[in-house]
Amino acid sequence: MSKQFSISPRAVPSWTLRVSVPFAALVAAAIIGGSILALSGSNPLEAYRTMVDASFNGLRPATRTLTLATPLILTGLAAAVAFRMKIWNIGAEGQLYIGAVTASGLALALPTSTPRSITIAILLIGGIAAGAVWAGLAAIPKAYFSADEVITTLMLNFVALSFMNYLIFGTVSYWRNPETRYPEGLQIPENAKLPMISYRLHYGIVIAILAAILIWWILRRTTYGFELRTIGDSQEASRYAGMRVNTKILSVLALSGALAGGAGAIEVSGVVGRLDPHALSTHELGFTGIVVAAVARLNCMTVIPVAVLLAALMTSGSSLQRVLGIQPEIVFFLQGLIFLFVAAGEFFLANKVNITTKAPTRLEVDGGLTGE
Amino acid sequence: MAATEKEILQVRELTKSFYGVAANDKVSFSLRNGEVHGLLGENGAGKSTLCSILAGLYRPDSGDVILNSERIRFRSPLDASNMGIGMVHQHFKLISSFTVAENMVLGLNAKSRNISLGTVEDEVRELARQYGLDVEPSAHVWQLSVGEQQRVEILRQLFRGARILILDEPTAVLAPQECDRLFEAVRHMVERDHSVILVSHKMDEILSNTDRVTVLVGGRNAGTLRTNETDAAELAKLMIGSDHLPKLANKSLRRFVESTPVLTIRDLEVIGDRGTEAVSGASLEVLSGQIVGVAGVAGNGQREFQQAIVGRRQISGGSIMLRGRDITQLSSRARSRSGLAYVPEDRLGTGLASGLTLEENLILKSYNEPPYSHRGVLSTAVITAAAEKLVKDFDIRGARSGMPVSLMSGGNLQKAILARELSRPHDLLLAASPTRGLDLAATASVRQHIRADTEKGGAVLLFSEDLGEIVELSDLILVLAGGRIVGSYTPATLDISELGLLMTGAKVHN
Amino acid sequence: MNDTVLVLSVVSAISAGTPILFAALGEITTERSGIMNLGIEGMMLVGAITGFWIGVETENAWLALLGGALGGILLSLIHAVLAISLRVNQIVSGLALVIVGSGLSAFWGNSGDRPTLVQTKTGVRFDPIFPEVIRDLPVVGPVIFGHDPVVYLSWVLVAAISYFLYRTQTGLSLRAVGEDPGAADASGLSVTRYRYVSTLVGGFGAGLGGAYLAIGVIGTWAAGLTAGAGWIAVALVILSGWRPWFALLAAYAFGALRSLGFTLQIAGIGVPSDFLAMIPFIATYLVVIVVSASPTRARKVAGPAALAKPYSREAR
Repeated sequence: MSKQFSISPRAVPSWTLRVSVPFAALVAAAIIGGSILALSGSNPLEAYRTMVDASFNGLRPATRTLTLATPLILTGLAAAVAFRMKIWNIGAEGQLYIGAVTASGLALALPTSTPRSITIAILLIGGIAAGAVWAGLAAIPKAYFSADEVITTLMLNFVALSFMNYLIFGTVSYWRNPETRYPEGLQIPENAKLPMISYRLHYGIVIAILAAILIWWILRRTTYGFELRTIGDSQEASRYAGMRVNTKILSVLALSGALAGGAGAIEVSGVVGRLDPHALSTHELGFTGIVVAAVARLNCMTVIPVAVLLAALMTSGSSLQRVLGIQPEIVFFLQGLIFLFVAAGEFFLANKVNITTKAPTRLEVDGGLTGE
Repeated sequence: MAATEKEILQVRELTKSFYGVAANDKVSFSLRNGEVHGLLGENGAGKSTLCSILAGLYRPDSGDVILNSERIRFRSPLDASNMGIGMVHQHFKLISSFTVAENMVLGLNAKSRNISLGTVEDEVRELARQYGLDVEPSAHVWQLSVGEQQRVEILRQLFRGARILILDEPTAVLAPQECDRLFEAVRHMVERDHSVILVSHKMDEILSNTDRVTVLVGGRNAGTLRTNETDAAELAKLMIGSDHLPKLANKSLRRFVESTPVLTIRDLEVIGDRGTEAVSGASLEVLSGQIVGVAGVAGNGQREFQQAIVGRRQISGGSIMLRGRDITQLSSRARSRSGLAYVPEDRLGTGLASGLTLEENLILKSYNEPPYSHRGVLSTAVITAAAEKLVKDFDIRGARSGMPVSLMSGGNLQKAILARELSRPHDLLLAASPTRGLDLAATASVRQHIRADTEKGGAVLLFSEDLGEIVELSDLILVLAGGRIVGSYTPATLDISELGLLMTGAKVHN
Repeated sequence: MNDTVLVLSVVSAISAGTPILFAALGEITTERSGIMNLGIEGMMLVGAITGFWIGVETENAWLALLGGALGGILLSLIHAVLAISLRVNQIVSGLALVIVGSGLSAFWGNSGDRPTLVQTKTGVRFDPIFPEVIRDLPVVGPVIFGHDPVVYLSWVLVAAISYFLYRTQTGLSLRAVGEDPGAADASGLSVTRYRYVSTLVGGFGAGLGGAYLAIGVIGTWAAGLTAGAGWIAVALVILSGWRPWFALLAAYAFGALRSLGFTLQIAGIGVPSDFLAMIPFIATYLVVIVVSASPTRARKVAGPAALAKPYSREAR
């Protein structure tokens, strides 16, 4: 007698399951992360308490968390909207950089006498458009030659990163401050900076939340979103219903790129204040957006709390080091664990696993003949 | 032929169910040494399931397979192969980027890990010569024609020492000359003491190439006969299972003298997936208020025919007119708007988007038209109200808000598609196997809806493999075989056994 | 003669290309079975830290290399379970591996109880195996005979994997699994087993590459020392058309790009290093498009047909 697993597809996961599986994933990640902490001689409970304190306890930590959550909401939306149509745009990273390059360029180019609202509007629109165009470099080959968007968007990330690096470190470009010896970006004028809410938290968070609501509304309430969801569910049924799938691939990748590009513009205008390749790439906001979307199970409203959670995790790293002397990189490991367990959890949401006890089903031959 | 009385393979009361539906229901059958044994039956009769069990792909729920008087149970296709049973599937299991020789050795339990493809190529050449299956061993599979690929599949089984070969509808993909070559090779095989199971729904083929034939109906064995002691009429009767045909006498004859044609198809030519002609020179006309049924066994061009009408497949010749307007150049959406309603055979995936809710699926074709949306914004209240009305009118049950339609029963899915298609303004309803897999109540309801549509002046073109359904509903019955319309009957002129013969590709002269 | 710019750049190209080559060879094996593992960067980092740590502890370079490979294998096992058994989206799982790998390696590499680890040189290294007389031969000396044994190991691996994939029954089966798992299954091959083993081979290659990078090339550990080498390996697999010998050439070409900026500067040609860094990625981007646009002619270099598609027998 042996234990046997039989796996059968689960048609629709119950509400409790949909909540408890991601929660179980979080707990599992916390336990594994805690064990690693304990193994390296730290008290995991103390560490977790410090992390919560560092990211939520008080106005300053909370605003710091929300500031980092802002771009993550946008890149999370960028991933979610594309993944909803089963378009695997993993190029939010590069789309964000190109958005940042464009927005900072525009901010530097506009006359300082331009009213603040107009300046900000122009640089946001510029960043959004640039992100969309950069995504188009993968969208057009995808729509017309079915070129795998996973590889093209991935490759374009590194091209964008090198390009951005070049503008600051490779040459004395328009973006670079000509006066400093160490290469750095030129500060954008004050009227190109997003106004602050509290501490370093800027109004970009409002834009990000509005964007989440807008995308959620588009997906649920417009014919565009209806087509997107239908194509993502079944290309064949969509084609029979007369939807144009190729046009949709173009527009969805553009929308996804636009959100990432917008995140880049907001980072420049609200946080970084100049084209700073290090500051823009250090948190890998584009890649982390994919984690956000996956953990949020591609739900645009859930993207908001998930982005806040991951931002809290990321910002708490430095406090861990300061307070407990724990290496801050543990937070990336924890983030990766959450990602892994949530991904694994998808399987248990989609499938029922039954454990049955059954006689072994080996090759059975009655009467002498031995199975080789 | 070389057939002896010795039974090499026996199948006893084999049962296999998928999702609660029995594909094989206590099937028993036996294969003699050196015989060609035909397995005849309509699609869904359980032929493929039976063969897949014998080839080790499926495990039976119950019943026994006895090979050389030993009860065996296969764990995998490899076990079957090791015991000398090889199957040539309808969809070839070849790696297209590999050479023929590489495909030969694939999965072979070679003693030496080192393979010399040169030696393999020589062996394959020799085998090919012996059996008259000539093919170039060094060629890549993707370079080969379909017929050649099939020869590779057969050679592969012989190369592995198969004594029993299962050929699953081998001629479905072949041109006539290639069929002759295939059966010549089959004769070479039985001369060398192999046994062959030939799965087919083509009467001619079975009659001229087998020693015995077993007819499967609804997953059961309806009889095993010696081929030389039977004829096409007897087999057709067994196959159709005439007991479930409705009484024709009760059917009222309707006249369509003054009706105008709704759908006119002239000399339709459609190329199938494999690049061969799937529909050849088909013409038909459907009048207002009329149901035209197209009978035929699946795989005879039905799918391509429908795809051409709804605009999902390019046609290579002929014309399709809807209410006198040529629609051949229109998109699917434009055809739908010109009054074409479609109930496809494949409910989930083609007819419905399986992950969306019922409400969403009910507007799958009208979401971008008022009143369901205005300037790109969905009018949810209108959509919900319309959905509620359809749910009531068509008695669709089992839907909850937020629940994907894939959870609903087949009957309710079909009602949902009908509701969506019939609630839109339409002149023609194209329906494909609309009651397949449905229970009695749902079947009756679907048929009632189709009939009611014609009473309002609609025209219906019905494709179905269920002859009973065709006979019950149609005012005109056409027979589609080999992509051609080979027969036409009104209820008054219907000759059911002749129709059965036509369906299986037999030639009838009258 | 052996000090000419050309000879020196070839030598440094080989040195810089070898870690990428190991990773790419592993990934070629993985992808040939139909599994795409985008987590190379993470596996290389874990390989680098494990290798470096074992190097410090044991002072044995070969044990360090082996330990690095084991580290890579362990991480790839996570991908195997997720992608093969749980049929999780392979892109998602691969990216998760990158994050876990870089987080874990940076955490361990900086661990508090061993504060000096960052600065410590391992004290272990690989020495050239040929005597100085041979190494001093003009041109061929440094280019062919001047390397440490790991470089020769990589050449052996290229030949071995190439032979394995194209000349052995098992290699043939592995490619079949990646081309058409349904057909391979019908032929009696265990799709799951082939995919598991080749995913672990991918982890082995990436771990080895990471360890060699830390011990043999850079000589120390630093967080994120791969600096995108894992992503270049992803690109390289595609550029090579999933063929080991081409991977060798491409790895050295990319290695050359890494050192070319410096060389060009000496030669007085001002090509910014950032543009050189883009070349592998732009080339891969273009190759993907060209191959997709001409599916019949490019069949040989289009990659395994079932790449990144989960397989389950029931879902036919």
